[in-house]
Parts: sequence; C-alpha cells; structure tokens
Amino acid sequence: MAPPRSYHSEALILKHAPFGEADLLVTFFTKERGKVRAVARGARRSSSKLVGHLEPLTQVSLSLAQGRSGLDHVSQAQLMESFAPLKDDLEAITKGFYLAELVDGFGSEANPNQPLYHLALATLHAIGQDPESDLPLRFFELRLLKVSGLMPELYCCVECRNDLAPDNHRFSPDIGGALCLECRPAEAHVRPLSLRALKVLRLLDRSQNTQIPSIELDSSLALEIRSLLKMSIEYWLDKQIQSNSFLEQLHREEKPGVYS
Amino acid sequence: MIPDSIPAASPSLARLIQELNRLPGIGPKSAQRLAYYLIRLPNEEALALADAISAVKSNILFCNQCQNLTDSSPCSICAEPQRNQEQICIVEDPMDVLALERTHAFRGLYHVLHGVISPLNGVGPDQLKLKELFNRLTQEDVKELIIATNPTLEGEATAMYIRRQLAGQDLKITHLARGLPVGGSLEYTDDLTLSRAFQGRQEL
Repeated sequence: MAPPRSYHSEALILKHAPFGEADLLVTFFTKERGKVRAVARGARRSSSKLVGHLEPLTQVSLSLAQGRSGLDHVSQAQLMESFAPLKDDLEAITKGFYLAELVDGFGSEANPNQPLYHLALATLHAIGQDPESDLPLRFFELRLLKVSGLMPELYCCVECRNDLAPDNHRFSPDIGGALCLECRPAEAHVRPLSLRALKVLRLLDRSQNTQIPSIELDSSLALEIRSLLKMSIEYWLDKQIQSNSFLEQLHREEKPGVYS
Repeated sequence: MIPDSIPAASPSLARLIQELNRLPGIGPKSAQRLAYYLIRLPNEEALALADAISAVKSNILFCNQCQNLTDSSPCSICAEPQRNQEQICIVEDPMDVLALERTHAFRGLYHVLHGVISPLNGVGPDQLKLKELFNRLTQEDVKELIIATNPTLEGEATAMYIRRQLAGQDLKITHLARGLPVGGSLEYTDDLTLSRAFQGRQEL
C-alpha cells in the first residue's frame, strides 16, 4: 500500500474546533492550495508539540498528510508570525476574527488565491499597528471583492455604461456597483452613494494590494463606506457576518462599565 | 440519519441508535456498536444508565451564585463557609472547576461562564453568564477576581472583555500565569508562549 502523500505549505489559521477526544479540526487558508481543513491529532493536550502553533490568526509553516477520508492531517506546524500586537487588544482580535470569517467565506478549497493570502496578512499587521482604525478593514473588504473577481463597478454606470459625472450617485450590490441618477433598474436594492464615498472607494481600489493608503475619514463618511461594503459582502456571501455583531457591540460600548 | 443496516422490524433499536448518533463524537457505526452493547447488558445495568440520565436531567440546575451545575443551589462549593469569600475564579466550563479543585491550590469561590466569547460562532457576552457575574460583584464583598479562561484567542478575548467592563472598579483583577507546561520542551514551544514565560519568570 502506498504511503499517504504529504505536502508543505504556509498558511493563515482561520479557525479551529474541538474534534474527537483531544484533536483539533483546523481551517487553514494556505498560500499554495487555498482553504484546507485538517485534523491535528492530540493538539488539545498540553504536552502536544502542536500546542500554541495552531491558534487562529497565526501564520504557520505546515507539513500535512493527505488523509483517506477527505480530511488531511497536520504532521508539523511551525509558527511564522503570531501577530502579537493584534492579540493584545480586544477590538483588534475581534477585527481579526471578522477578517478570518470573510477569508473563510470567500476562499475555496483547492483554489489558491495568493493575492488574498497576502492581503489578509498585510491587513492583520495593519490592525495590530492601529487597533482603533477601521480603515484596514474597509481596505480589506474592498480588496477582497477585487481579488475574488467580484469588484463593484466604480467608474461608470453599471446599467447605461456612461462615465459617472462628479456628483452623488447610487449603489446596488445586486446589479454590481454604481448607478447614475437616470438609471432605475427594477427590483434592485439601491442606496445613495455620495461623491466623497465614491472617491474613497476608488482610492482603495487603486492602491497596491498590500499598501493601505493613509486617509482620515469623518464618522459619517466612515459609516457610509462601512455600510456600502457590508452590503456588498453580505450579498455575495448570501448570509450575515457572524462576528460583525460583537464588533458592533464593542463600538456601542466604547465607554464600558457595567456599573455606570 | 439511521444507517441502512438497521432492521426495519426493530423500531426501538433504530430509535436507540438514532439517539446515540446525536451524541458528540458518535458516528453511525459507533452508535450501532453502543446500541448492541447496551442490548447485551444485564437489565439492571442498562436501566441504571437510563436512570442516571433521567435523574441528571430532572435534578441538575444552575447554582444561583457561581452558575455551576449542581443538584442543589447554592452548590457545595459556594455553601462551604471555610472558603475565601473575597476571591472569585472565573472559568469557562464546569469541567474547569473540577480540574482546579483537583489541585487543592485554590480555596476561594468560582464563577462558571459556560463558554467564551466566540465571534465566529456568533457567541457574544450576552450568551455567557456574565450578567450574573457582574450582579454578584455588586452584592458580594469580592476583593480579587482571578480570570482562568483557557489560553486560546477566544479565552483571551473573554478575559479582555471582562477587564474592560470592570475598568475603574476597586477590584484586583488577576490572570492565571501563561508559560511552559510541565513536561514541555522549549524547542517546540511557540514564540508567544515563550515570550510570556519570560515575562512571568520567577526568582529562584
């Protein structure tokens, strides 16, 4: 009988769950193979050599063996980047979980997407450097749509294909981007798109894949962009983003204190 | 799903296999093996198992103080007067209380959260026994809160959330030490654990 085939890869750990008595079922987003789910045997025991190397939001170098039942097995894992600054801040951790949920939702198995892999790592670094800024996540959301081939149209009207005048417009994720004021497609979910928001989205689109531009957004503009991108992401995912509710709760509770 | 091999003439056996199949980690084949094992057991042994399940479901409740699972409230730990009433150790699950009790290193009280904040699974603070903890702190004379959530990312996030909610309170909040496990090896230890082990080094 031929031995099971093994392979090496570097990966970002998206999540894990208990599996069996002391194992972990880990979801990786690998550089070379896209999303991979693998079992790490005994990884929940404190004496395991894999302990600490398989935490979510960690970049690792992996050796995996292809399993017969469809699930691969982790034979070795070596931590490459722990994103330690991110893990010292509650909001940053929650943003990291949000990113992991989106990579899990948009990544697919046996379908490598190296631009997405590098984008995710760069965004985790940026979140760790400035946990309070929402810009890294907005950048990630737009670039995620772009590297997944789902980029909304921002330069001309998706209906009439005319160039957009420098004015306020409208936006529809189901039609695929910006709409001029004259076009009114039936049965489309449409919401206003301010000229300022359009300019920021275009700036994020034109930036390098891993270089987050340095811009300041006032709260109303930040809210508009967050809402437009969330709408697009949830449209393509076809479900609500679970980790978003805790992120929003943290924003609401910015002045914490249960006794106050 | 009931496996195809179950004889249609035995609906009670099929039901047992189906119920066993619902248990975590029990697949259809294991469920069949367990069901046939139970059939072969002497009557009194099989019925003792059924009775234990029935008793636990009708008697178990949450302790109104620590939220641990118990037969009577307050539980035996909360009702023990010799325990240090000024220290509360926060743990994720009832099994963590058992693990800490085995050490005999802690003689204070506990608070069981019944989970951790897990944004990816839609578990937020409202799904945990946190409100009960914060209520306890207003009613009891607690001086120290020891956070003993697991050293996972979700456990750390939960610890940070508790610290954030109690910021500014006249309360000592501590965290179990992070570092090298007994029997571990430096070579295989991850960077984060090693750096925390350095931070928490102790004079010999």
